Order: sequence, then C-alpha cells, then structure tokens
Amino acid sequence: MGAAFSMSSLFGKLFGSKEVRILMLGLDAAGKTTILYKLKLNQTMTTIPTVGFNVETFTYKNIKFNMWDVGGQDKIRPLWRHYYSGTQGLVFVVDSSDHARIDEARTELHRIINDREMADCLLLVFANKQDVDGAMKPNEVTEKLQLAKLKDKLWFVQPAIAIDGEGLTEGFGWLSDNIKKMPKYGGK
Amino acid sequence: MASAEQPLPYAPRTSSISAFVEAPPSDSHRRSSSSVPTSKFAADMSQPPPRPARSPLPHGFNPADMDRLSDPNVKDKIVSTGTNPSSQHSSLSVPLPKVRHDPSLRRARKPRSQYPRSSTESHVEYILVASFDIDRGPIMEHQYPVAITGDEHMLAELMLPDQAHVRNQDWTVFFLHKDSSQEEDDAERQAKESRRARRRRRRDRAKGIIHESDDEDDGGEEDLDDDDDDWDDDVSTDEEPEGGEGPPLVYVLNLVNTKQDKTVKRGAVVKAMAICTRHPFLHIYKPLLLLALEEYFKSPVPETLSMLFNAVNEMDLSLMPKLSLLERHLLQASDNKDLFVEKFERMIQARISEETAEDVADQPFDASRSPPRRPGIFRSGTKSYIETHTGAYAVPRDTHEFESKVMYKGIPIPIKVPVAVMPETVGDFSLIKLIQNFSDSHAKSPQTFALHPHLTTNGPTTHPIIVLANALLTQKRVIFLGHNMPSGEVAEAVLAACALVSGGLLRGFTRHAFPYTDLTKIDDLLNVPGFIAGVTNPTFEHHPEWWDLLCDIPSGKMKISSKIESAPITEGLVYFQQQNPAYANFINGASAGSGSAAAAGQQTGDLTGDAAFMADILRCIANRSGERVVRAKWREWVLKFTRIAAAFEETVFGASALYIGSDGDGDGGGGGGDGNLGQAAMGHGYVWADEATKAKELAGNVTRIEGWRNTRSYYSFIQSYTVRPLKGLDLAHMHDRLRTQKLTPQQSKEIFEAFYNYVWSYDEICLLLSVAPESHAGLFYIALGLFHKDRDVRVKTAELLDRIAEHEAGQHWWRSLSRFEKLAYVRIKKEVEQEGRGGREGGVVSPVDSKRVSSGRRVI
Repeated sequence: MGAAFSMSSLFGKLFGSKEVRILMLGLDAAGKTTILYKLKLNQTMTTIPTVGFNVETFTYKNIKFNMWDVGGQDKIRPLWRHYYSGTQGLVFVVDSSDHARIDEARTELHRIINDREMADCLLLVFANKQDVDGAMKPNEVTEKLQLAKLKDKLWFVQPAIAIDGEGLTEGFGWLSDNIKKMPKYGGK
Repeated sequence: MASAEQPLPYAPRTSSISAFVEAPPSDSHRRSSSSVPTSKFAADMSQPPPRPARSPLPHGFNPADMDRLSDPNVKDKIVSTGTNPSSQHSSLSVPLPKVRHDPSLRRARKPRSQYPRSSTESHVEYILVASFDIDRGPIMEHQYPVAITGDEHMLAELMLPDQAHVRNQDWTVFFLHKDSSQEEDDAERQAKESRRARRRRRRDRAKGIIHESDDEDDGGEEDLDDDDDDWDDDVSTDEEPEGGEGPPLVYVLNLVNTKQDKTVKRGAVVKAMAICTRHPFLHIYKPLLLLALEEYFKSPVPETLSMLFNAVNEMDLSLMPKLSLLERHLLQASDNKDLFVEKFERMIQARISEETAEDVADQPFDASRSPPRRPGIFRSGTKSYIETHTGAYAVPRDTHEFESKVMYKGIPIPIKVPVAVMPETVGDFSLIKLIQNFSDSHAKSPQTFALHPHLTTNGPTTHPIIVLANALLTQKRVIFLGHNMPSGEVAEAVLAACALVSGGLLRGFTRHAFPYTDLTKIDDLLNVPGFIAGVTNPTFEHHPEWWDLLCDIPSGKMKISSKIESAPITEGLVYFQQQNPAYANFINGASAGSGSAAAAGQQTGDLTGDAAFMADILRCIANRSGERVVRAKWREWVLKFTRIAAAFEETVFGASALYIGSDGDGDGGGGGGDGNLGQAAMGHGYVWADEATKAKELAGNVTRIEGWRNTRSYYSFIQSYTVRPLKGLDLAHMHDRLRTQKLTPQQSKEIFEAFYNYVWSYDEICLLLSVAPESHAGLFYIALGLFHKDRDVRVKTAELLDRIAEHEAGQHWWRSLSRFEKLAYVRIKKEVEQEGRGGREGGVVSPVDSKRVSSGRRVI
C-alpha cells in the first residue's frame, strides 16, 4: 500500500500536477483560437478575432497544459513579450495559404525566439490550413520561416487542418514527449 | 500647439497613465515619489490663487460679529447673508426663519447649484467610439465634438478590454489625466469655456431660455460672488484639486458590445462607445450608452454621437444644491430622507422668482396682465411639488438623490444623481461586495500571508481586507485580477477599494487608480509609484515584480508579492521602541520580519483592534445593515487611524503635522491668553482609556503609520486639515472624552462651555454634528450637559441645543434627542424664563475668541 501510494505521488509529481505553460502566437487569422478550442473541447468553434487573449487549461498525455492564445493583429504584437516569462513551449501558427504574409510571420517568429526569456522553450510550428488550395507544404513553410537557421533550438513543423483537428494530436504528441525530457520537468 | 478648433485641455498627450510618467524614474516609493513636487503642492494649497482675496473688513461688516468667529471663512458668509445684494433671490414667499443667535445658522442666502444652468461646463465632454479592426486591432472610429488629443490608439485599446470577444457586453471605467502645462491648459480651457458658453447661450436664446448670466454685468458679478462664497465655505469641495494634486480627472465610462455577424469577415463586430465626464457619478449614463451604442451599430456615423452628446448635456441638474464637504458628509452618513430638503426648496423658490421676474420682463407693456400666481406647494403621494404657472417642480422624495431626466430620441430616460458625493467616490460600487468577496474565502480557509510590517499588522492571519487597506495606506502597488470576469466588475472592485481606504477623508487614491487596464499600459503603469489597478489578464499574476499585493477576485485570495520592497527601519519606529521598551516586542515585524517578534505580536492578540473591527463589519453585513452603515464604519476606521497616527507623531516626535492646533495653545504651556478655554477643552487627539492601552494600540499601528507617513494621502491629508472650521479646537476629542471617560464636574464643565463658546456658525455646528453622528447616539452626550450640577452649564447647554435645533441639519438631530433629555431642556428653559431673563442674553462671548480667528496654523 505504501509503495503504491509513493508510486502514484511520484507519478503525479512528474506528470500530473505540474503545469506547463504554452504560448501560442502567430499572425492574425492564422487559426490560433480554433486550435485552442479544438484541443480543449474537441469541438470546432466558429471563432472571432481575439481581443487580448484566451487561456485554457487541458490535460494531454498526462501533462497539464496551460495554453495561452494571444491576439495577433500587428498593433498588439508588442504585447506578446509580456507572456514570455515562464513559458516552456511556443506554438507558432502559420496560415500556410497566406503566401503574402509568410515573410511577416518569419520576422515575428524570429523576434520571439531570439528573446532571452524564450531561450529554453520548445518550438512547435503548425503549418495550418493545409486544406486550402495552394497551401504551402510543411517543408516549404520550414524553409520560408528559415528554421534551419535556429541553433540550439528544438523545433518541429507539423502540418495541420485545425478546423478538422488534423495534425493537432501529432503536434502535441511531439510537444509532450519533449517536455518530459526537459530538465525542469524532471526528465533528462 | 493645439489649434483653436481643438482645445482639449484634459486629453492626455498619451494615455491615462501618462500623467505620472513625469515623475523621475529614479523615484522609489518613498517621500519624493509623489507625482507632484511638494513645493507646488504647498503653493497650490496655501493660497487659493484664482480667488481674489476680499478685503478683511468688507463693506457692512459688523465687527461685533467678529467675536464669535473662530474661522475667518465664516465672515464672508455672514456678510453675504446680510449685505450682499445677491440675496435678492432669497426674499422668497417663504419668510426667512428668524434666527436669534446667528444669522448664518440657517443658510438663508440663495443656495448654489452644483451644476448651474449658467455653467459653461458640460456634463459630458466627449463621446468616443472605437472598434476592433480585424486587421489592425483596436482603432478609434469617431470622436465628438472634437478629437481628444494624444494617443488615440491607447484610448482605443482601453475601450476594447481583454476578452471583449468572449462576452456580448462589457463595461469598463478608466480615467484620463491632463498632463500638459497648467497655464497653457487654463488659457485653453477658458477660451473653450467662453466659446462654449456663448454658443450655448445663443442656442438657448433661440429656444427661448434665458440665463441668469445673460445680463452680462449683473450676472457676471453675481457669478463672481458665488465663486467667492464657494471658496469660502467649501474650500475642500470638488472644485479643489483633489488632494492638491492637479485638475479634476476626466472619468470615462465605456460600453463594449460584440455582435456575431455572419455577413462580415471573421464573423463578428466589436465596437465600444465611451462617455467622458468630470462628474464622479458616471454610472448614471449607463442606460444612455446602452441605447446609443445600439443605435451606433445601426448607423455608425458621427451624428449618432452628437445626438447622445446633446441629449446628455441638456440634462438639467441646476436645481440640485451644492453642499459643502461637511454637509455632504452629514447627508451621506444619514438615513434621513429629508436632510437638507430646505436647500432644494430654496433652489426651487429661487427658480420660481427668477421665472416670474423674467415673465414680467418679457412683457413690460402688458399692463392688463394679472400678477403672477403665487407658487403653491402641494403634496401628491410621497412627493411634494411646488407648482407654478410654468409647471411643477418636484422636491425630492429622498434628498440623497436628485432626479432628472435625459431626453434621448424622444424617450425620457430617468436619471438619479447622488447629491452627496464624497471625495474619492467615483461611479457605482459596493464596499459590501468587496469585503464579502475577500472575507468569505478567508472565513472558509484562513489565508496566511508572508509577513510584511506595513501589511500584516495582525500577523500572518491578518484579515485580507485589512491587508488591502494597509497596502493602500502605505502606497503599495495593488492589482485586482478578475480572470474571466467582465472588466466592469474589476473596475468596481478598484473603485470600491479607493473609497474604502479614503473613507471620504484621505485622498490621492482615485488619482492613481486604473480601474481597468491591460498589458498595453504596463510600462506606464510601472512608472506610477503606488497604484490601484484592475486587470482581467492572469499574466499579471506571473509577474510579481509588477505588484506588491495581488487581489484575485474569483478566488477571493490575496497574495503579497515575493518581490515586495521590504519596509525600511524608520526613525519613528526606532524612537518608539526606545521610548516604550516594554512594548517594543509587540511591534509587528519590527525586527525585520523575524518570526519570533511577529509571533509575539500575534500572541498579544488584536493590538490594532482590526480583528474586532472586521468581525463587527461582517456582523453588520450579515445583519443587512446596508452599504451606508458599512461606509460610515470604514470612515471611522480611517479617521481613527489618522488620529492614532497624529498621537503617534506627538508621542514620538513631540509634534504632529496631523494636528492643527491654534498657535497660541501649542506646546508652550497652553494658551496663556486663552483663559476661557479650560484644560479639558484644550486637549486634542484620540482618547484612550489609559496609557497602557494607548501604548499597545500605538505599538500595533507603528509600522503602518510609518509606512503611511511618506505617502501622497498623508501629505494631502495634512493639506485638508488647513481648511476646516474650528481649527483650534478638537471637537471630536472633547466629545470622545464625554463619551468614554469618567470626568470630574470641572472637566466636563470645561468641555460643555467650550462647545457653547465656540460652536456658533453654520459650519461649526455641522462639524459638531459630524462628531456626534445620528448612528452613534447623536446629541446624547452633548445633551448630558443639561444635567450638569453647575446651573450655568445646564443653561449654556440648553442654548447650544437651541442653536443646533435651528440649524438646517441640526434640527433632525434635535428631533431624535431622547424624551428624557428634551424634558430636561424644557425645564431649564422654563427656569430661565421665570427668572426673567431671555435665553438669548445668556450668551457669554469670550473676547478671547477673536484671537483665535487668525490662529489657524498651516503645516506644510
């Protein structure tokens, strides 16, 4: 009995009770809020532009995610930095069909991950809206975002169709696996 | 810089917060950090610059009156009653009450309106509309009548609070400060006002409305007189810059709506409309904003704004009398629905006689015209009306509220305006709600705080509301966080906290309050030393370096920041410990947060009395005593704190900036010339049962007093002391002694005589009433003088009661006097009559009094 108790508490310490803070950013209308609520509620919500932020907590693969979704209009992007501290994972959402703004997305992404406070965090990129005709493929997104330039950074690009939920599990699977390896999380 | 078409003195260059950015960044949270340099402070306060000083002995002044005046302010009032031609309006159909003792006892002169018709101030200064652009974020769409200068983007952000997209409707409140140079603004404002006045007069003339001030010479003069009077008797009213810290704030009430709309890109439209006003009662505009924003969704054009602007500015509040600070306090604390009803009646009478005069003037040649009908007062239901040929004016059912209406699109919207608004009271909020919010969870699972000498004055289990009050008193950075709550509720908590800690006495809280703010303003916010802010974004919780105390509204928990600046060891603290070694251990966290000292403090029980106080407050709330009672109790708490602080300063430093005695009876042996003032009446300050109780209570309070002593509210409190009547005398002290101590007949005689000798004028009686509130036995202790063994004291007390009974407010206190005491009064009066002496000769006016006239000490 004693052993079982200590096992579960250890387990809880490792995976259950710890909360990881995930920050989800991206240009406006990239699909951040849709992803958030698809993950939280497993429902496709009709979302409207986010004024400020949304934050939800959900558990996936025994990890409690505290996920922040912050509005993406250019005027409010300077606020993103206030959400950096304590963030363990960045989910960057790209509208793969928006060829015109992929460079803008790259600039913003590099600005974020070059911040000192984001130095240790994981980077998951959702190449969203794969269902739209002419959408860039994951490798194209990787290239346009110049992810190869990133040194000492764990990153992963996941194609996704947020409204159908496609790719989200895979993306968060990668995130959970890597979070468990992070020193802060007790992993090695 | 601003062109003539855009004179916007109150618009900040950048944002609501920008006013504080001027403070040098190196400022810590201490003394020098007040956003206004102290020198300016002093200059502003010590001489009222805009009011030309009257000659010391105005025409018609009767030097005999001088004797009774303890306060120079009263002079002018008497003069204006007796000799000022402006009192023409007071020759009403109702004869003036005959007053035996002092003509100023009842305000016979024309009462002034809080918002006169002739005023050039608009109720509402701007209407703004912002929307959330799906590509650009918050943008300003329209501003009326002109654009507010400054960063309109920042304004638009404030108007679209975080998470507006998840609720259909949300209210926010925020404040604007003006931050350009004063002279420039004054000039601008004057220009704007005169233009506006001209415009309005023209408009009104077209509509057939005549203003008092239309006759430029006459009206102008009268206005000036009124202004003078303003200054004289309510120096510390709204017109005084709050806490001497600058011009009045512009309050913004904002409504934001999110409408799902399949036809637009991304499925929703988010728009916000805001009203900018300088009235602290901005909540009255809520129904109008609801209608107008709805209208704006239908027709998003500037005309929708102008329609609202005109509608609200045509609201007539001119029959609402202006009350002095003391009067407002009395009214606010009283349940009496008729208190000061006379003022309303006189306003109406004055209006009627004006109208009558205008009628005559309108038709000078119509000799056959029948003389105007005399107005009659009649009652219908609970309401009484004064009827004239031009219509009926209603006397309010409850003098706490003034009823008016706004015509919006042909619909009359009823409006109720609070008559007595205390300083630091803005908008609509509930102290009860605030207190309950943070008490309920504390009652369920008591919170233990990390110790901080300024905050946890009763140890780690100090009640959260006391921690909050302490944080505000000691000028900490306080954040109310309401994640997933409408921002309106967060703003309400902030406004309630300001009122709570102000008690209507202390100032400088609303000026540094940000009822709703968000991340966009964080950098500006952090430049403000000591603030009270409301946010809905939980990110603030992750930044303990941004705040000292975080009040989480949904959970009802408070958190002291791990990064809070530790309290310095101050001189006062050290002196106190040296002087009272026996009590040094009681001081909360004195040895820099050492656990043992704190534990000792806790073991000694409730030194501050705050635990008992909170228990009492919660009992009151449980008994449904109501908001008024709770506010009154908090006012007492704040007042007690200031009085204990004064006692502390005197004990430790030998003198207090918080006590304004007359110079004569200061330190050196007490009023050599004041032979008439007995030793008992000389005393001042908080009254304790004995020295040990005093030392204990001081020990319990030392740390927060020391924390308070360098704050904005402390300095402005010192200022406010210079402007009250009866500076030389501490009526509260004397009344407390009557109430709590066992006095010798000689001591009580001295106190009763002091009341009799010094309490004469209208304001002095108001002051006396305020120390003997109806909720606390009223005049009971004063009337005890009717049973004093010395006959002279009995007679004098009866006469004092005469004066009070004739006083507009005092009559209500007199009425609730116990039957027993009234009988004693009648008996004494009879005795006096039988001896063939009229009561009025009894007045022994001390020649010494005149000395005190000029003795109000200013402490800067």
